[in-house]
Amino acid sequence: MARIQQPAAFVVGLLMISAASAQTDPGVRPGAINGQTGATATSPLPLASVTANTPTGALEFFEDGLTRFQNVEVVSGGDDNGLGPRFNFNQCSGCHSQPTIGGSSAAQNPEAAVISAGIVSGSTNTIPAFITPNGPTREARFPFFFNANGTANTSAPNGGVETLYTVSGRADAGSCNLAQPSFAAAQAANNLIFRIPTPLFGAGLVENIDDSTLLTNLAAQAGNGLGISGNFNRNGNDGTIARFGWKAQNKSLDLFSGEAYNVEMGITNETFPQDRPLPGEDVLGTGLPANCLNLSHGGYPEDATNFTPTSTSSDPFAVNASIPSDVIGFAMFMKMLAPPVQSTTTPGGATSISHGSAVFNSIGCSVCHTPTLSSTQASNVTPSLGNAAVRAFSDLEIHHMGTGLNDNVSQGNAGGDQFRTAPLWGVGQRIFFLHDGRTSNLLTAIRAHASSGSEASTVVSNFNALPVASQQDVLNFLRSL
Amino acid sequence: MRAEHFRDSSSRASLGVALASLSLGFCVESWSAAQNGGSPSTNPPAKVPAGVILVKGAWSSDSDPTTPVPEAGTVTSRHYDSPYFHLSYPLAAGWAQQFAGPPPSDRGFYVLAQIQSADAATGAVRGSVLIAAQDMFFTPTPASNALELVSYTGSHLRADYRVERPPAEVTVAGRSFVRLDYFSPVTGLHWAVLAAQIRCHTVQFTFTSIDPSVIQHLVAGMADMTLPIEAGVSTGKGGGDAPVCVKDYATGGNVLNRVDPILTDRRFNSIPVRVVIDTSGKVKNVHFISSFPEQARTISDALQQWRLKPYVLNGKAVEVETGILFGAPPNRALISGRQEPQLVPARKHDPT
Repeated sequence: MARIQQPAAFVVGLLMISAASAQTDPGVRPGAINGQTGATATSPLPLASVTANTPTGALEFFEDGLTRFQNVEVVSGGDDNGLGPRFNFNQCSGCHSQPTIGGSSAAQNPEAAVISAGIVSGSTNTIPAFITPNGPTREARFPFFFNANGTANTSAPNGGVETLYTVSGRADAGSCNLAQPSFAAAQAANNLIFRIPTPLFGAGLVENIDDSTLLTNLAAQAGNGLGISGNFNRNGNDGTIARFGWKAQNKSLDLFSGEAYNVEMGITNETFPQDRPLPGEDVLGTGLPANCLNLSHGGYPEDATNFTPTSTSSDPFAVNASIPSDVIGFAMFMKMLAPPVQSTTTPGGATSISHGSAVFNSIGCSVCHTPTLSSTQASNVTPSLGNAAVRAFSDLEIHHMGTGLNDNVSQGNAGGDQFRTAPLWGVGQRIFFLHDGRTSNLLTAIRAHASSGSEASTVVSNFNALPVASQQDVLNFLRSL
Repeated sequence: MRAEHFRDSSSRASLGVALASLSLGFCVESWSAAQNGGSPSTNPPAKVPAGVILVKGAWSSDSDPTTPVPEAGTVTSRHYDSPYFHLSYPLAAGWAQQFAGPPPSDRGFYVLAQIQSADAATGAVRGSVLIAAQDMFFTPTPASNALELVSYTGSHLRADYRVERPPAEVTVAGRSFVRLDYFSPVTGLHWAVLAAQIRCHTVQFTFTSIDPSVIQHLVAGMADMTLPIEAGVSTGKGGGDAPVCVKDYATGGNVLNRVDPILTDRRFNSIPVRVVIDTSGKVKNVHFISSFPEQARTISDALQQWRLKPYVLNGKAVEVETGILFGAPPNRALISGRQEPQLVPARKHDPT
């Protein structure tokens, strides 16, 4: 972390790298979705034991969770209500959709079409400038609170989600009248950062890794000679390792699900039972106005366990699956989603992929993007979750990623520049990369790992030292995942 | 030694060098800054500065802005200089640091400098030099000195690498170093690791290139380094202008009065701390290698009340430096259960 006095020569060198590069990101891998025969854009595959309906009823829970994941939520009326008063979108699968339901940001951003689709009122909402039809699906945060004069107060970290839209003006929203956060002012003050949806495939396996497995992997990283020294984000109450979210801030899928339902869609639930004001409204103690509370008219939480099953199916297991809350339904769906399957031949052919994998390991990428964590705990959910190798290409640690990726948002023990090693399984069919979706080019994403303060700079230097053919093999390998 | 006088070590580094502060961005926040909520700043910036890490997690800091710390070295066009290690490494012509390293880890690992050379025509990296240090008071490995640490690395190389030159002693700039060379058959990348111990840290130079002659040239350039007298593969225990360093000195009967800090909000991270104890047994200087600001304040308040036996060397009380680990213990048990390093008998090698 020594200071630099003459970086100019390397700035020139860096500029010339792009001019001389012949290696290219092959782009989204064509062929079977998630590498799985049978998967479609609207039907992701569950784990093998769930497909086999083991234990009996597991498949009904998966299918019920998948249905709930696609439900379109409204403010009031109907079965799926509680939306708002603020929200980013009205359907989980709207944002988690590439290459199939449960994934990440799709090519067409539904957040850009909320007015034309009648999801929000155009008389009370505008589409923020950073939400574009072909851009990434995003949530927004202000790293700092604002001073009275409109400038950012860098002594007052914020970092909470600034929800994009309000229900104001919708026919089912009553008299609730809320303004959107001042995104334009935040952007002008450079006080605005973004996050894109994390893909959820294989999430149940990640959840079921014992802490000791992760700690053993951390220990094996000692003496890596690359300047890498990560750590874990830990749950503030029991001290165990948290592992979901861009900064590994969430402990479990139940928690992840409950928080997302509340923060992204404004639906209160048994894990997060209050309607959420914006961070500024919360800090100031003003909260949400009374006419924006209990908009579903059903009381809190808006999502709850169904003491009376909602299903009238003749299948008793379908009836069972209808009893839990949506949050549990979502979590069960995520737990049972199968991980993507790597292609052995596409893109670039088997030899290139195999060589790219070996290069990936040799230059040090695999220190953090650990190819396999082995193995999961025995599972009381479904056999495929137990005693399984997890080929997520992540150590689930948080690492310093430097000034280039820093977003000045702290979550748990993770500081502004610390991020969880993003799992790479499924990256072959991802469109947007890095926490804010700033690029669709995998080569750009790799090089963005290097900046002042990053643990990955030496590894990127190793990558940049390779012949173009080897760099291409790495890109092909990554797109095979 | 009052808590409000503590400063982020990276902030202190900016005292000497101003040029790169915007690109590095480690010099903005002091510990006195509010961490949440807070009233408007008296001099707010018009914009949040780009490329600056303002919201930090666990970070390094120290009680005295004038006392050198490992992470506060500087890289110029000609040298990497470390006042803490009394070390100066001359950079080969055309080599420079593009990116500074991350903050020290909670296992006492430092990235001191990252130096590279890129081909002017293609931009391809010709090679890199990673200068790092491992505080041997907090190493997660069973190694107790530089020789053992590099031997540990050599015996734990992953299957992707082949050892070209097993760990062995060499002489560099008149001091004993341990050298390990290995390479990757897949990529053709070569690594040479040369390390010595200084102030109970293993200071390690890792040279990487596809071209072995580049590494040879860089290793030869180490002959022009300046190093403290103490530097060596198993010596390097302070003394001279620096305090002597003694592992676990602040334990047992050496501690006459101990006040344990009570960590409240965050309590599941490891907090390695290096302290200098003066000749009267008081804590003179505290270097938090990795801690959150509120933890540093709590621990420093406690350490002010500690009294220790003065360290006596040759019949005279001298300053002593030692390490104390607060917070959660690291997962060292997992390491100790691993294969012990296979030490290779020391032998002399020409460093080139």
